[in-house]
Amino acid sequence: MTNPFEDPDGTFLVLRNDAGQYSLWPSFAEVPAGWTVAKTADTRAACAEYVETHWTDMRPAGLVEAMGG
Amino acid sequence: MTTAAETPRKAEPRKPSQLQDVWPLSPLQQGLFFHARYAGASADVYTAQAVVELRGPLDTAALKAAAAALLRRHANLRAAFRQRKEGTPVQVIVREVRTPWEEIDLSAHPDAEAEAARVADRERARPFDLAKPPLVRFVLLRMADDRHRLVFTNHHILLDGWSTPILQTELFALYLTRGDDSGLPRVTPYKNYLAWLAQQDREAAETAWRDALAGVDEPTLVAPGAPEPPADAEPGRVRRELDAGLTRALTDRARAHNVTLNTVLQLAWGVLLGRLTGRRDVTFGAAVSGRPPELPGVEQMIGLFINTLPVRVTARPGDTVAQALTGLQGRQADLLPHHHVGLTDIQRISGVGTLFDTMTVLENYPFDPEAAGADLGGLTMRDVGGYDASHYPLALAAVPGERLLLRLDHRTDLFTAAQAERIMDRLERVLHAIAHEPDVPLAHVDVLSDDERRRLIEDWQGETAGRVPETITARFAAVADVDPGREALRTPDGSLTYGELNKRANRLAHLLRARGVERETRVAMLLERSPDVVVATLGILKAGGAYAPIHHGYPQERVRWAVAEVEAPVLLVDRTTHHRVAGLDLDADIIVIDEVETAADDTDPGTDVHPEQLAYVMFTSGSTGLPKGAMLTHRNVVDLATDPALRDGAHDRVLVHSPHAFDASTYELWVPLLAGGTAVIAPPGRVDAAEIERLVVDGGLTGLFLTTALFNLVAEERPEAFAGLREVLTGGESGSAVAMRKVLAACPDTRLGHVYGPTEATTYATDADMRTALADPSETTPVLGRPMADMRVYVLDEALRPVPAGVTGEAYIAGSGVGRGYLNRPALTAERWVADPFGPPGTRMYRTGDLMRRREDGALEYVDRADFQVKIRGFRIELGEIEAALAALDGVAHAAVLVHRDAAVTRLVAYAVPSAGSVLDTAALRAALARRLPEYMVPSAIVGLDALPLGPTGKVDRRALPVPDLAAAAAGRAPENPGEEVLCAVFAEVLGLDEVGADVSFFDLGGDSVTALRLAGRAAQAGVELTPRDVFTHQTVERLVRRTDADADLGLEPLLRIRDTGTRPPLFFVHPAGGLAWGYLQFQAHLPADQPVYGLQSRVFTGAEPAADVASMAADYVDLIRTVRPHGPYHLAGWSLGGLIAYEMACLLQAEGEEVGLLALIDSYHGQDLGSAERDVLPEVLGAIGMDPAEVAPGGEPDVPKIMERLAARGDGLSTLDSGDLVRVFRAYQAGIRQAETYVPGAYRGDLLYFTALRNRPAGAPVPAEHWGAVMTGRVAEHPVDAEHHALMEPGPVAVMGPVLATELDKQHANLTNPQAGRTAR
Repeated sequence: MTNPFEDPDGTFLVLRNDAGQYSLWPSFAEVPAGWTVAKTADTRAACAEYVETHWTDMRPAGLVEAMGG
Repeated sequence: MTTAAETPRKAEPRKPSQLQDVWPLSPLQQGLFFHARYAGASADVYTAQAVVELRGPLDTAALKAAAAALLRRHANLRAAFRQRKEGTPVQVIVREVRTPWEEIDLSAHPDAEAEAARVADRERARPFDLAKPPLVRFVLLRMADDRHRLVFTNHHILLDGWSTPILQTELFALYLTRGDDSGLPRVTPYKNYLAWLAQQDREAAETAWRDALAGVDEPTLVAPGAPEPPADAEPGRVRRELDAGLTRALTDRARAHNVTLNTVLQLAWGVLLGRLTGRRDVTFGAAVSGRPPELPGVEQMIGLFINTLPVRVTARPGDTVAQALTGLQGRQADLLPHHHVGLTDIQRISGVGTLFDTMTVLENYPFDPEAAGADLGGLTMRDVGGYDASHYPLALAAVPGERLLLRLDHRTDLFTAAQAERIMDRLERVLHAIAHEPDVPLAHVDVLSDDERRRLIEDWQGETAGRVPETITARFAAVADVDPGREALRTPDGSLTYGELNKRANRLAHLLRARGVERETRVAMLLERSPDVVVATLGILKAGGAYAPIHHGYPQERVRWAVAEVEAPVLLVDRTTHHRVAGLDLDADIIVIDEVETAADDTDPGTDVHPEQLAYVMFTSGSTGLPKGAMLTHRNVVDLATDPALRDGAHDRVLVHSPHAFDASTYELWVPLLAGGTAVIAPPGRVDAAEIERLVVDGGLTGLFLTTALFNLVAEERPEAFAGLREVLTGGESGSAVAMRKVLAACPDTRLGHVYGPTEATTYATDADMRTALADPSETTPVLGRPMADMRVYVLDEALRPVPAGVTGEAYIAGSGVGRGYLNRPALTAERWVADPFGPPGTRMYRTGDLMRRREDGALEYVDRADFQVKIRGFRIELGEIEAALAALDGVAHAAVLVHRDAAVTRLVAYAVPSAGSVLDTAALRAALARRLPEYMVPSAIVGLDALPLGPTGKVDRRALPVPDLAAAAAGRAPENPGEEVLCAVFAEVLGLDEVGADVSFFDLGGDSVTALRLAGRAAQAGVELTPRDVFTHQTVERLVRRTDADADLGLEPLLRIRDTGTRPPLFFVHPAGGLAWGYLQFQAHLPADQPVYGLQSRVFTGAEPAADVASMAADYVDLIRTVRPHGPYHLAGWSLGGLIAYEMACLLQAEGEEVGLLALIDSYHGQDLGSAERDVLPEVLGAIGMDPAEVAPGGEPDVPKIMERLAARGDGLSTLDSGDLVRVFRAYQAGIRQAETYVPGAYRGDLLYFTALRNRPAGAPVPAEHWGAVMTGRVAEHPVDAEHHALMEPGPVAVMGPVLATELDKQHANLTNPQAGRTAR
């Protein structure tokens, strides 16, 4: 059984929620509510690279705000 | 060649001329032949049956003649099946066979229908003997005058389902002619088909199948691990008639895409199978007619042509129904010319073996009963039943018609009728979608009903507790405020109140803030288990920081890495762990918590803490070669600690014993401390079953958590240990229902909770009450139960859809316990914490990698891991991490690591391929890994390979990796004495090996902390006392046995420390023949207080064989006394044989240039004939240990139980002797007499103190002064003692000898101190 997130040949999206958290997402599946597409379909490696460069502060947005940035 | 012709059977003698022909078997016949033989005569699931009802007047003689004509016409109906000597099966065609015909009149039977069914059953149950043709039987049942039933039973190897109607048609044609076949068309013999087969291009066919199955690397099984079907099991059967509308829509759909109805059905089954197995690429069997169209007359042939061939449905989730249909049809068409290859061969070609366990068949038999029944002389016939067994767990048959008839045969030992009905429901939903929604992606075809979906996603989740997010610090402060005097911590040394804990944590928090700790700052910790751990943990949180405990098993390099990884400004250690980080190049300040002066301010630092703020970082193994730090928040922790299931008082006094770096510590600390309870801190080190039992009682515990392995061990050794608890929690690995039942039975008032959860979801995500779950005695799997409060677990398939109950999928956890992510690993976090399509908008779910399924009642059940993560000793390990570390070493090109499990232990085994030009030194590689990885991740063995075996898809084929030869690893030095022998056997038993060498490390063979506990338990049963700590310290049998010398406090050690204090040169007493030096203990009272005294004892008590002679013992003992007294002067004394040994030691020491002070012999004689061969030593031995031989050995036969009873009753050391020791005394005594006889003394230079036993002195006994004076150079000072030789160690004689020795020692001491005062006064 291959997990859809582990498929090296699959195409993926990168999703982002209001908390500023990112999620890899297989492109065949519907985008869940509360998430927007941050990066359109691409290889797994490219999506991982995108997340690595864009998600620089892993604190959720609410906490960042509470801590004053 | 052996044929029926050459070896006539006794019952039916046949002439050679009966042999008509010998044919080969078709591939399908071969398969059946071997299967039938393998299954044996009892279970012949390959018996087929057709029952035809005949209405109207019947001419039974004509029907019988027709049956006989059938057998005459078709040679293959007269085949016998035999195996040639070299193994090839053949079918032997005989010229004539008797027609197996039976007539039964049921017309007068009160329940003819039931009886008819019974007869049919009986016929089916009667096996055919493949060697005895014909393999067909006819039974004609007369139900009434004008109503008959013909039961036709045959072995499947002769005929397939397509042939039966042809045969029936022919039978009734022959009936009309009363068996005359002259008007019938000539038979196309089965032999023609066999000839056609021989002409096929075998290679092309194999290639086609290999291509068709490329990339299939595992079977598609709905019932993996299913046992062989029970012998006489008949499948269950559920039927479903589709309505005419759906039937029509399906036919239209097939026509619209130019595919067959069969393809439509196969796609539907493939889609359903994907949902039943949680896979996208599935394979199942399909029955094909197997009749090659190019073979003339094939349609009217009878015989076995039908084949079961694999159908592969690769349902890419994005494909539409229409695309999938045409794709499937195209692939099937390409395989059409290759339908003749047997399934066994295809499975071999695929490299997978068994490919599937379900099949489909479209029953479009070329038989029209209405047409056939046209004119049978007023007779009409109709099929009333038939039986064509399938041995597959699930087999779908479809019969086309105006209303498509579906039939699902299922093995009733694997599926209930209700489950089969549900599968049929799902199939109908899939068919509906295919019929009506051709443009929908396959991924969206749903097999779940709305009710089912709601249950899976909503109903079977944790309760909604309605909690407001909180922080650990606020919650703790509130609890501490309520009652500061309450006991927060209990330790072996005392306790700490909430007020005290709070103040100490506050003081530390101020210090930490001064050292730069702020909100979200990680503080590394490496502390021995103690109250300081709790103070530190709380102090860090109060400062706003997050604690990052470091595994004690980390090697130095990794400790440094971990501190840097969390960017800790501070590393907290204690006096015990400080040395572990000394000398490390760290950026962090090191605070030694039990030495540092914390701040004076003990008020709360008042730091702002947010519920989403980080509480701790815990490292778990990472597949990329380095651990990853899971980040958990205050809210995560508080929600676990306030879970209603843990808040009913059962977890108010909890044992803290897990390593701090192990996520169970979250439960152990915060569940009690956030509720005003008490954390009871176990002493440092590992706890064992006895310790747990003690702690439960002494600590007044109410709850505790044990990893699966430790729980199983306690369950095995003392299941009653938990009896005082309200609840014991266990989890971490697949649990054992057997172990759990033991505990439940032994602890009737204790709840047993089975908990599950990854570190990333805050320790526990689900729990199950095992008393309820295991109430059914047939239950063998400990379920995981339901999610805890505010937690959700989804079991999803490869397309992220919920799988139906009973189907395995991957578990995803959502809800309040889901942590923040992996520290400094955004991409890895985005892969594992993913968008939750089922929860509130914008929330995430954690992908566990655990395969699970839901029971019909919603309870979760653990199945396996989806990846290469394993648990060793409760620690999560990514095999990839070890592989990466190994591959990074010099000289290693490729590496693979896997886990070998057997009944006894779980072992990590690594495989390494050397890089070009390198030669592997596996021992060196292992040592290098040990420097980089925690010890629980260091493989037990590293196996060198030329290349890693690759599977068809180019991935490492882990199944093909060789099982390491542990026997080789375990081989070592053979045990050299009984002590080693015993312990080697215990090692082997505990490790599940045949033999273990004395010098092989327990841990190199896969032993771990839990197996070490087991080892200690088994060793105790074998009479060897050792603790798990001993096992860790000494590791090999050799060292453990030697350890006994130094550590054991049994009084049997070779060097008995009678008094090891004092400044004078010690006096060494050497044991007499019995081997023990205990008799000398009484001399202490008579010797100066500053005189050290040691006794030398025979090594037979620590497992050695008796020594060969006095000289070898003396040499041994000289080495031994040098361990406490490296250089002279030495004082030596000995009774009897001990005197001889002491004398010899004195000579040896002098030869080595050492000074001997006092040499005292107590009634010792050399060169005497002591009659060792015939002497009865038993009474002497018994006398020597204070027994009356007349009482305990009447008639010379020792009464061992009585001796043991007498010994036990004594108040002195002898009461501790066991029967084994007694035997050793006896053996030492016997050997001692021999040794004394053969001893030839050398020349001692010096004086001798001599005690002579005067009583019962044998006539002619030597005079000591002459006896010894003759061999030595000094003076013999003789002191007579009024006692028998054997009674010299009684208090009276000792009181005489003791003062003499004391005086002599004083004299020696004075001589020594005067001239050499500077040296000896120290």
